[in-house]
Amino acid sequence: MRVTPEDGIVVVTGAGSGLGRALAHVFAHKGFAVAGLGRRAEALEETAALCPGFFAVPVDIADAGAVRAAFATLPAPAVLVNNAAIYPRRDLLAETGESWAETVNSNLNGLVNCTLAALGPMVQRGQGRILNVATFADLNPLPGAAAYSVSKGAARIFTRALIADITDRFPGIVVSDWMPGMLATKMGIRDGLDPATAAAWGATLALLRDPSLTGSTFEMDREILPPRGLKNRVKDALLLRRRRPRVLSDL
Amino acid sequence: MSTLADHGDAPEGGWDALVIGTGIGGGTLGRRLAEAGMRVLFLEKGQADARSAENGLSEVALPEARAVRGLWPAPLTATVDGITQRFFAPLGSGPGGSSVFYAATLERPDRHDIDDTPGRPHPTGGWPLGFDTLAPSYAEAARLYRVYGTPDPLSPEVPLPLRAPPPLTAVEARLFDRLQRSGLHPYHAPTGIERIDGCRMCLGRKCPKACKMDGRSAGVEPALATGRARLVTGAEVTRLVMDGDRIAAVEATVDGTSRRFTARRIVLAGGALGSPRVLLRSACEDWPDGVANRSGLVGRNLMFHLNEILAVWPGLDGPPTKAVSFRDLYHRDGQRLGTVQAMGIRASYGEITYYLQRMLEGTRLAPLAPVARLPAALAARLLGSAQILVGLLEDLPYRENRVGADGHIHYTLHDELKARRRVFRRALRQAFRGQRGLLLGIAPDLNWGHPCGTLRFGHDPAHSVLRADGRTHDVENLWVADASFMPTSMGVNPSLTIAAFALHVADGMLGGRK
Ligand SMILES: Cc1cc2nc3c(=O)[nH]c(=O)nc-3n(C[C@H](O)[C@H](O)[C@H](O)COP(=O)(O)OP(=O)(O)OC[C@H]3O[C@@H](n4cnc5c(N)ncnc54)[C@H](O)[C@@H]3O)c2cc1C
Repeated sequence: MRVTPEDGIVVVTGAGSGLGRALAHVFAHKGFAVAGLGRRAEALEETAALCPGFFAVPVDIADAGAVRAAFATLPAPAVLVNNAAIYPRRDLLAETGESWAETVNSNLNGLVNCTLAALGPMVQRGQGRILNVATFADLNPLPGAAAYSVSKGAARIFTRALIADITDRFPGIVVSDWMPGMLATKMGIRDGLDPATAAAWGATLALLRDPSLTGSTFEMDREILPPRGLKNRVKDALLLRRRRPRVLSDL
Repeated sequence: MSTLADHGDAPEGGWDALVIGTGIGGGTLGRRLAEAGMRVLFLEKGQADARSAENGLSEVALPEARAVRGLWPAPLTATVDGITQRFFAPLGSGPGGSSVFYAATLERPDRHDIDDTPGRPHPTGGWPLGFDTLAPSYAEAARLYRVYGTPDPLSPEVPLPLRAPPPLTAVEARLFDRLQRSGLHPYHAPTGIERIDGCRMCLGRKCPKACKMDGRSAGVEPALATGRARLVTGAEVTRLVMDGDRIAAVEATVDGTSRRFTARRIVLAGGALGSPRVLLRSACEDWPDGVANRSGLVGRNLMFHLNEILAVWPGLDGPPTKAVSFRDLYHRDGQRLGTVQAMGIRASYGEITYYLQRMLEGTRLAPLAPVARLPAALAARLLGSAQILVGLLEDLPYRENRVGADGHIHYTLHDELKARRRVFRRALRQAFRGQRGLLLGIAPDLNWGHPCGTLRFGHDPAHSVLRADGRTHDVENLWVADASFMPTSMGVNPSLTIAAFALHVADGMLGGRK
């Protein structure tokens, strides 16, 4: 079960740089029409120059009204990749309410704005794919990364809350989290992964729409299984059911 | 027709008929009226989710979350044999009512369910409309609901007009064979599903297409398609405003504000638990015991069915079937028992745990209930290929079994019912002797999804609420078309009967117009 270009367009947020640009590139070369959202029009134009069938949608995703208006001009999305995020390195004592809100507005509220806008047409069709680019930053927040860790951690909770609200009603809308790994991007680390490698995984995952992927977490190209309690492990054993993490190359 | 547009701006007056509730009763009746040219307004308490929604019944707890899913939002409070419980009942609220979740088995009852027949006397002396009078409405309902199946080989009656069923699967064929070898007479259960391309047999859950035929797809939607009907969802009728023996207006809360609607004819179709509440809550100076309640019977004679759940192992693995029904145990030794049919669910881990726990709960082993999980896991593995059958045991009317103005249910399991249950269980055990079969459940299991009887129809205004044509004895411009009308619960599922009666009521209303 894979999404095809006939199913609709792919929307990538944060498409003006780094992983977002690399994702747009993969989707475009697979024949998809790609709408790239981003704050900086020039950066989006640079992405457009690399990607056939890409259209630039300059918009600040933190602005709910602007996001609604932008989606209203787009054809129905088959896929939304919530990739945009900012990572201000700032000691918590240097944060102000305003600087904090700015990070939460993009990393959490921006993702929510885009998701709500994309859900309208997806719900109408009972079908769609939402992939949230996520991190483990919330597990052990690093010094200097408070706003990032909190907002990205909240975004992971949002994924679960979204699933709680829609999956029983619209199982054809497949929602999951993906950790791309440590990337050699401006936000990442110098000797990290080539974003093109990660983007190939991310795009593959975003085009898979088996309902069993809903709620899964993939890191790079393989699934991370949630820890199982003792009771469930006993049950698994009795049912001769052992869960193995899925790997993209097998799907 | 793919979405149910909400017509919150629909005009408040000028309607030929106002239909309260859009279940199988209200939906079917409204469709008939609109197709015949009437202007129809539906007021539905529940919400319309996106048409693509596929959810089933669930234990989701927040009332708001239940409402968007088309589930009855509040828990039911029921006192059964003196013990009060609060729980979420398997009831729908929204376009289609409970029927969007139903399993679409559309059985016509036997003659003795309706008529007083020699050798099979009817507990109420017979319904005011006989089997033969209702037969054309049953046939019409079967056509509207696109019913397929095969006739009951034991029935001497003219069969329903049935579409040809799909060929039996291997598991179904095996099950038929087993039953026949035990001397039983299975038939392909009459089923209201169009079976369009890509049909996924949405039994127990909402169908995202106009494929499963229910009060929405075969009622409200075709009614709206005529252009003469409008639907306001989220509109809970709180009161009927009376002017002598007529309803002057219908008061409803829509989006938190109270509005008044008027129409020449009012049809109450809020279901067997919903409709009597509207009447009781409309009590006023002229109608101190509730509207249309001079008989004192509004809300009374509440019936359900008792479920007897049975696991059988056809010896073949396969998807759960819903195709098999038989009526060999329907009426035995002068007793009204009921039909037996495949339930369309799998004996999965969850169900087996549930039943093991329920079995333990009824015994002194109750403290062991949590332990049932492990045996259930084993059972699920060993017995996972079981098919689940359910026997529906008829419930009979008792005045004190009732729903009140506050929705509280009082129900007593009478000795007579318990005795018939023993007979039914014995008959089931005998029928499956020599087969791999297991009766699940020890305590009586009321089917909360099948309430009926709370506004029974009859000829005598002292002993019934509705006339034979569905109009109330007491109020000139008020009709009822839902499961409330049934004087007895029959030995089969109720929906085809509700639809047939709704068509009959609609025809009477249309005749009266000329
Ligand atoms: C899981 C399940 C499976 C079933 N399977 C079958 C089956 O296979 N075959 C079968 O024949 N039957 C089956 N049934 C039973 C069947 O669904 C019901 O008997 C039938 O749908 C009842 O229809 P109704 O029109 O009487 O009322 P309802 O379906 O209860 O509809 C009443 C409607 O009125 C609305 N309403 C109530 N009060 C108000 C108010 N004050 N103002 C406005 N609106 C109001 C409600 O919100 C609701 O939408 C099943 C039931 C369940 C739960």
